[in-house]
Amino acid sequence: MNDSDEPAAQALPASWAGFTWAGVVDGARLGLVPAPTLIAFGLAVGVLASAKGLSAMEMALMSAWVYAGGAQMASLQIWTEPLPVFALVLTVLAMNARYILLSAALRPYFGMLPWWQAYPGVAIMGDANWAITIREANRTGLADAGFLFGSGLVMFIPWVGSTAAGHLFGQFLGDPRRLGIDFMLAAFFATMALGFFRASRSVAPLIVAIVVAVAVEKLVPGPWYLFAGALAGSLAGAWAHVDKT
Amino acid sequence: MSIRPEVFHVILLLGLASLACRLSGFFLMRYVAITPRVDAWLRAMPIALIGALLGPVAVNGGLPEWLGLATAVGLMYWTANEFAGAIGACAVVALMRAAMA
Repeated sequence: MNDSDEPAAQALPASWAGFTWAGVVDGARLGLVPAPTLIAFGLAVGVLASAKGLSAMEMALMSAWVYAGGAQMASLQIWTEPLPVFALVLTVLAMNARYILLSAALRPYFGMLPWWQAYPGVAIMGDANWAITIREANRTGLADAGFLFGSGLVMFIPWVGSTAAGHLFGQFLGDPRRLGIDFMLAAFFATMALGFFRASRSVAPLIVAIVVAVAVEKLVPGPWYLFAGALAGSLAGAWAHVDKT
Repeated sequence: MSIRPEVFHVILLLGLASLACRLSGFFLMRYVAITPRVDAWLRAMPIALIGALLGPVAVNGGLPEWLGLATAVGLMYWTANEFAGAIGACAVVALMRAAMA
């Protein structure tokens, strides 16, 4: 496969910065970019939680501890009393199974660090700051676990705050669909697509991911399609890979 | 305004499921050697996730969603600013939905 259109930064990071406070600050700065989309989504989740009868404290606890927008949205949709515990756990697993793959993809960047440097950032990562961390590590050739942690931290606080605010003041917001808020995450990832797309090696993973996700979404109940699409697409990337000699 | 015990227990369980997903991939890769092919697999992850997220949005959506996705990519191309791209796209989706309602 011809990799000549790719900058050198596409190779594994040339150096590992470990965990630096400069990285935490940098991550916090760049992690703020998706914050407005996160806040809008958090407001919508808060509105739904309030409609489903959760208290504001329960909402805040859920946001801080479960800490996953898609999983919270999906589990709140099936939230009824008495609580369908098994279905709720399965929904969270289905929605968050993609994190198994996303965190696996961080191993080449942070695998050589001591656990107390790598795991805090991995434990609080979300889709957006995960993508930004990988993009920056590829761009600068420097993998800093501080960046992962800092960018995660600035998403954690607005997430808990905005879901609580949505719960308390959501009735003034109206229907989130009308404001296009349900489109926020898709819009953010559409903008990220441009930065990750490489003509030489992204076509197969992209097409396979789309086809598998669309098919699984139609055929399998629950949000398993995200995991299935990401797994199939990334494996297509491995399959299409040709070792350079 | 309080936390009911049964809700607390369920949220505890959901959070453990969430945390297990985040930590397990990173942990398990400890036992996998990063060969060039494994590296290619992991490197394809961002674009694969983006495809898996956007594919169903595009297929299940209509004109507002299609124009929204095009706006996000277009604005990103011209401004190199994710925030502008995402907000612009949502504005287009909201306006189109209002226009078509």
